[in-house]
Amino acid sequence: MTTPMLEIRNLHARIAEREILRGVNLTVPAGEVHAIMGRNGSGKSTLSYVLAGKADYEITEGEVLLDGEDILALDPSERAAKGLFLAFQYPIEIPGVATMTFLKAAMNAQLKARGQAEMTTPDFMRAVKEAGQSLHIDSDMLKRALNVGFSGGEKKRAEILQMALLAPKMCVLDETDSGLDIDALKIVSDGVNALRGPGRSMLVITHYQRLLNHIVPDVVHVFSDGRVVESGGKELALELESKGYAGFDEAAA
Amino acid sequence: MHVPVRIGPAEAKLIEQLGSRGAAAAAERLAQSGLPTRKVESYHYTDLKMLLRTVPELASAEKALSEPVFRVPGAHRIPMTNGIADLDGTEPAGVRAGTTKGSALTERDDVLVRLNAALAAETLRLDVEGTVGTVLHIDRRTEGDAGHMNDSVHLFVADGARATVIETFSGSDEGHLSNHASFVALGAGVELTHILLDLSGAGATSFATAEYQIGAGAKLRTVTIHVGSALSRINLFARFAGEGAHADITGLNLATEGQHSDITLEVSHNVPRCSSKPLFKQVARGRSKAVFQGKIVVAPNAQKTDAKLMMQGLMLSDEAEILSKPELEIFADDVVCGHGSTVGALDEDSMFYLMSRGIPQAEAESMLVRGFLEEVLDPIADEQLHDALESVVEKWLST
Repeated sequence: MTTPMLEIRNLHARIAEREILRGVNLTVPAGEVHAIMGRNGSGKSTLSYVLAGKADYEITEGEVLLDGEDILALDPSERAAKGLFLAFQYPIEIPGVATMTFLKAAMNAQLKARGQAEMTTPDFMRAVKEAGQSLHIDSDMLKRALNVGFSGGEKKRAEILQMALLAPKMCVLDETDSGLDIDALKIVSDGVNALRGPGRSMLVITHYQRLLNHIVPDVVHVFSDGRVVESGGKELALELESKGYAGFDEAAA
Repeated sequence: MHVPVRIGPAEAKLIEQLGSRGAAAAAERLAQSGLPTRKVESYHYTDLKMLLRTVPELASAEKALSEPVFRVPGAHRIPMTNGIADLDGTEPAGVRAGTTKGSALTERDDVLVRLNAALAAETLRLDVEGTVGTVLHIDRRTEGDAGHMNDSVHLFVADGARATVIETFSGSDEGHLSNHASFVALGAGVELTHILLDLSGAGATSFATAEYQIGAGAKLRTVTIHVGSALSRINLFARFAGEGAHADITGLNLATEGQHSDITLEVSHNVPRCSSKPLFKQVARGRSKAVFQGKIVVAPNAQKTDAKLMMQGLMLSDEAEILSKPELEIFADDVVCGHGSTVGALDEDSMFYLMSRGIPQAEAESMLVRGFLEEVLDPIADEQLHDALESVVEKWLST
């Protein structure tokens, strides 16, 4: 049996005294796209933060294996260098740091961590220009401070640009559809779809079925009260849309 | 009843030095009041009586021996060693250089100004006319063995002139006490960028006072940067002398392990329709203390004044201290004035975001600090000067 790209085993996490993840079990095989759907407050975003290594959460139990390797002891930058990428629901504004400068620092830091040669500036510029084209990101936007004054759509496109450049093997997309109009949603989804491939897995977190019309998942998981309560094919998303989450609450109880 | 103050060894030395230069009045004044303590409001956070333990011998004339610690590519550099300018007659067109006797600052009631007025032997006087495309770099050094050095610069920028001037402070010895004076006069319609950069040795004591007199319709940008010296106090006084002028008075106060660094600013709006935007950023790490005091005074007739003072502090360690005191004294009724002061640690969400992209912790931290400081450096138009200052900050962050 091949090693799954991501394997979450009985993951428990809390913030302050409140347990938010209560035994998450989830496996994403290499090359597959899985969706996690759940209502607000079910712990979906916490899962994404815990995977990326945000310090606010205390892991009390469980394991997270990325390509067979336990990553829970690694800091966020080390996890990123191992190929994990989180597309933020609310990308953070960083005043005074030009987007281009940031992109170069991130790419070179990852190459360095993997013992690879850093990119030359012309190669880097070319890569950014290429990746930016399909996402409608021009050089003006890249000169601006990272995410500062970006519209909702620009922020999400910038996230996908980073994903394209960093070429992670495991992408976690946290509510990438929030705050996007139909056109922006299409641009972002096309960007994500272009990155699908056999060596790359994705975990798409959303509470609307709408996104999954654009990014069609292989498997849908229903998340409730801090764990996965049901898994199925893409038709499960449609079932959720018509029945609502209420029908799944019992499974969680 | 007058209670005589106890005179410590540093004060005794200063009194002796003033006496030896024939400054009897200044010596007498210091003997009576001593160095300012925390009870003197303007020195509340920088108690010189306590902080200044020793005063080295008065520095004698020296030739510049050490290599310049800072160079701006393409700039015209005027070395000034232990108060004596080395003028070779190659100043760029529009710049006239010469010297006058004594200090450029005499008037102000401040201990550092009184010392400089009594002890600075001569003043480098620069007269600037027209548009000077070359950056002028006044490289003020304290050379030789540990010494007490007072130097002085008078910069006169004629009506309509445009120039960029940087003054750097540095020296050969950790035991130096340097006390610098600068007087900067802007004529009508002048556009001037004036930078003060303290690069004194990490153990040195560095004092400076800069006065700006701003003519009608002039545009002044000042950037005061502290990175060196264990004990530092920089006085900045800006006075609007003509209507319709604007001043961006900015600075970076970077304090590291063992340093006490104080920047104290007073902006006087004495005439109507001027605007000022003081913006100071302080970063403190290790066991250090960064102090900023900023006061804006609006005179009764200075109507339509628009002044906004901002101090932002960033603490990089639990032992660091950042002290900030913004003040407004407004005697006119038709003005827009405000002040703000914030202090915090590096934003955790920003750190997480950068690190989640693979940027290691130390690099992410320095990226955020640079980003924080960039607002002050960004407006410096001369690209080579901007980059040179950025590399000073870069170096501070990496050591």
